[in-house]
Amino acid sequence: MEVIDSRIVLAPAISLACALLIFISGRRAAWRSTLALGAAALKFAVILSLLPGSLQGTVYAYRLFDFPPGIGIAFRADALGMFFALVSSTLWVLTTVYAIGYMKDRPQKLRFFGFFSLCISTTVGIAFAENLLTLLLCYEALTVCTYPLLVHDETPEALRAGRKYLVYTLAGGALILFGVVMVQHLAGTLSLSQPGILPADAPPPMLLAVFWALVAGFGVKAAIMPLHGWLPSAMVAPTPVSALLHAVAVVKAGVFGLLRVVYNVFGVELLAVLGYAAWLAALAAFTIVAGSLMAMAQDNLKRRLAYSTVSQLSYIVLAAALLTPLAALAAIAHIANQAFAKITMFFVAGAVEQATGRRQVHELAGMGRVMPWTMGAFTVASLSFIGVPLFAGFVTKWYLSLGALQAEAWWFVLLMILSALLNAAYWLPIVYLAWFRAPRGLPARVGETGWLLLAPTLAAAAYVVLLGVTTRVPGMPFSLAEAAVNFVSGTRGGG
Amino acid sequence: MASADFLSLLPALSVALPLFGALLVVPLRRFGERRRQQLLAGLCGLTTLLVLGLLPGALAGTPRAISLLQFTPQVRLLLRVDAMGALFAATLSVLFLLALIYSGPYLQRREKGAHDGHRDRYFVFFMMCQGWMLGVAWAGNLITLLVFYELFSILSYPLIVHDETPEALRAGTKYIVYILCGGSLVLFGIILCFFLVGDRPFTPGGMLDASMDGAMLKVVFWSFIAGFGVKAALMPLHGWVPDAHPVAPAPFSALLSGVMVAAGCFAMMRVVFEVFGAGLAAALGVMPWLSAVAAVSVLLAALLAAGEDQLKRRLAWSTISQMAYVVLAVSLLAPGVTTGALVHITHHAFLKGGLFFCAGLLADVAGIRRVSEMAGAARRMPLTMACFAVAALGIVGVPPLSGFVGKWVMGLGMAQAGHPEMLLVLLGGALLAALYLLPPVWLAYFRAPAESDDGRCDPSSRLEAEAPVGMLGPLLAATAISILLGVCAALPGLPLSLARRAAAAFFGAEF
Repeated sequence: MEVIDSRIVLAPAISLACALLIFISGRRAAWRSTLALGAAALKFAVILSLLPGSLQGTVYAYRLFDFPPGIGIAFRADALGMFFALVSSTLWVLTTVYAIGYMKDRPQKLRFFGFFSLCISTTVGIAFAENLLTLLLCYEALTVCTYPLLVHDETPEALRAGRKYLVYTLAGGALILFGVVMVQHLAGTLSLSQPGILPADAPPPMLLAVFWALVAGFGVKAAIMPLHGWLPSAMVAPTPVSALLHAVAVVKAGVFGLLRVVYNVFGVELLAVLGYAAWLAALAAFTIVAGSLMAMAQDNLKRRLAYSTVSQLSYIVLAAALLTPLAALAAIAHIANQAFAKITMFFVAGAVEQATGRRQVHELAGMGRVMPWTMGAFTVASLSFIGVPLFAGFVTKWYLSLGALQAEAWWFVLLMILSALLNAAYWLPIVYLAWFRAPRGLPARVGETGWLLLAPTLAAAAYVVLLGVTTRVPGMPFSLAEAAVNFVSGTRGGG
Repeated sequence: MASADFLSLLPALSVALPLFGALLVVPLRRFGERRRQQLLAGLCGLTTLLVLGLLPGALAGTPRAISLLQFTPQVRLLLRVDAMGALFAATLSVLFLLALIYSGPYLQRREKGAHDGHRDRYFVFFMMCQGWMLGVAWAGNLITLLVFYELFSILSYPLIVHDETPEALRAGTKYIVYILCGGSLVLFGIILCFFLVGDRPFTPGGMLDASMDGAMLKVVFWSFIAGFGVKAALMPLHGWVPDAHPVAPAPFSALLSGVMVAAGCFAMMRVVFEVFGAGLAAALGVMPWLSAVAAVSVLLAALLAAGEDQLKRRLAWSTISQMAYVVLAVSLLAPGVTTGALVHITHHAFLKGGLFFCAGLLADVAGIRRVSEMAGAARRMPLTMACFAVAALGIVGVPPLSGFVGKWVMGLGMAQAGHPEMLLVLLGGALLAALYLLPPVWLAYFRAPAESDDGRCDPSSRLEAEAPVGMLGPLLAATAISILLGVCAALPGLPLSLARRAAAAFFGAEF
């Protein structure tokens, strides 16, 4: 059932208005913080109010205006879009609280919070985009809005990373544009409301070109190797930015775009006939392993996190490329599972840096005794990445493995297990250092950070556990993922 | 599914109580150390009573099950009571209670005010471990088994590295690597199994059937065996055992040997009898291989034990050898042998637990860590060494001690099942056990204590001739249990009856 409802435009509009208000009148810290927090909470509430209907299968749509004739700027909240929007708006609330605490003593807060709001606005726009054009527009806007945040410190290193980011993502955007034009040419529509719009009788070379153009374009932000180069360098940004944008919004926008390409542009059936997805799966498998190996070699905590993100994102790509309903469930659920676990880790990295100035893994010895709650959250996130049962990561691992078996590709189950062990190999040493080694060279008065940093960290960690155990609770993101899979596979789905 | 009456909640409650205790450890600090330990022991005792209260129902075969939470759409956490689970649960909760009582004075003596934070950590993880392990015992399907198995395996790491010496940390790393790899293999098996039949509760007689792809079934089988074999210390997957035992605190070594290694065997039995089923396992033709591995493991580990001078390491090797008996018994797929193996798990738990309690006392009170230093120990610590002697004889299998019962039933079963050659392994293992456990006893009783440098006995050791009561109590209790279980083995409600009941279920009416 499709309902016209302006709330789905309201959601991105709130952040947009918030950004404008901050730019105009955000000089005073208290007012700015109130504004940012208020907008985050309001938007979360709006999206939450859409949730019950969405769970019952209602699809909300709203057409703003026709931009080129026939193709409008239009929004439509199906289950997949709702899922992404729900995850990013939840995390936005947490990150805003964290950012207020983190940025307290840093310059250029006005610019920071303004663009921060713009970014989330565009992210929700991507989630709710009804057609490829709207998606592309918001996607490019996200690229641009991220740049000022990324180079926030304006050090030469940050500027260099920013340049690299722009080169990568703008090139990716150009590829997407090429793909979009081709889709319009082949299918005569850009709508994302059907399970596949490309006609099966289109010339295969054209389809191949479209597929790789779109995959490579979105693959830049999804950090599929070898297109991942920008992500580790982008870690020079302030931690809340890394957390929200480089573990959640930007990279997830890329992954989300890929899911749309697989499920809504090509459709599972057409891709299964064409057989391109096997190559994508192979690429993702390579990225999973190589990303983990690279992560192992990093001593800088944030860089290790970045490579872990590269590896984890490819879980989603791999799951999508397997084209089975259970794998699709894993793909969608992992958007949330990875997001919450990774943002916990980023929050921890930022808190440790704030409290002690330490950024290297080997300097974390004894941190658990100094900051027990913070490192406890880190431990929870690590266990989730390893895929210990009852944590969020296990749900992904479980469904991805079953999905691989459904696709009769049992070697991906082995890959999952190998990857879990690799994750253990680079997360557990940190946990070990933090808890079982004595702290060295720390001043006596170092302790937990303030509540503004600690509370979001703990909330995110709690979510990691919640996502792992409450997959049956209606209203949790997982039920939305199931609804999305039902649509994608056109059947009962979920196995 | 049984109705969710109050009794069905009991297994879940017995898992929750120790976990609740773990939460209380830090808040209870304000009552003082002694009071806290009493309260924790009380909680642990309550859990034990609860578990023992479930035994009659398990013996009568009353179905009690509770579905805890729908974990993912097709998977639920299921706890239920059956004879095998009840036997294991009772064993482990009694041993945990003894070890908890032992831990208090043990830790207090070891680290007089040094790092008290570690003591909190120890008790938190100790209590948690009991909860997770009870979960393993009550697990009603594969995923529940995996959840609790992984939790107790990973979370016992802080207990192993408790002392945080370089050796302890090294052993801990080795442990965690082994356990994670083992856990991954188990997960692999479970995923394949789930793909084949979906989520089913354990059913005596098995849930897989021969119509499925044979190669696939073999892969499932070996990944389970290798995965659980890591925990069960099946050679060549035993690497962590001889390293982890000596470095862990003595009460935890007792648990590690007594019930944690056994948990691997327990899980293996679940898989062989209740996932594959004896019929299918025999049809697959994999069992002779497993028998061979287990037989080699029994003998080789016993030989290595005989060659080891460090007492706790020697005991660890002995555990590897004794637990391989259980694997050997499983691989023969005969009712009598299986009964014997189940009984052996329980009996071994108290015997080996007692031996580790002794080893802890010897190291702690008299500073004896090596077998060669044990000369004359009996004169200084008569009670401790008496218990050591009883437990040693029990492991060797001298009647009427409990160790004898398990071996007798196993041996009889082997003969009945037509595997008389395995009797040789059984006897060989027992003889070697005599070879590695009796010399310490002999040294302690019939040799004069080594003289110290100045020609006289060390005066400090005279001051503390015998061990403190708090630690001696659990040791005496473990010894008494070992004797009682041997003498009264035939009484209903004791391990033998439960094991018979479980084996009868596995093999249908033929037993």
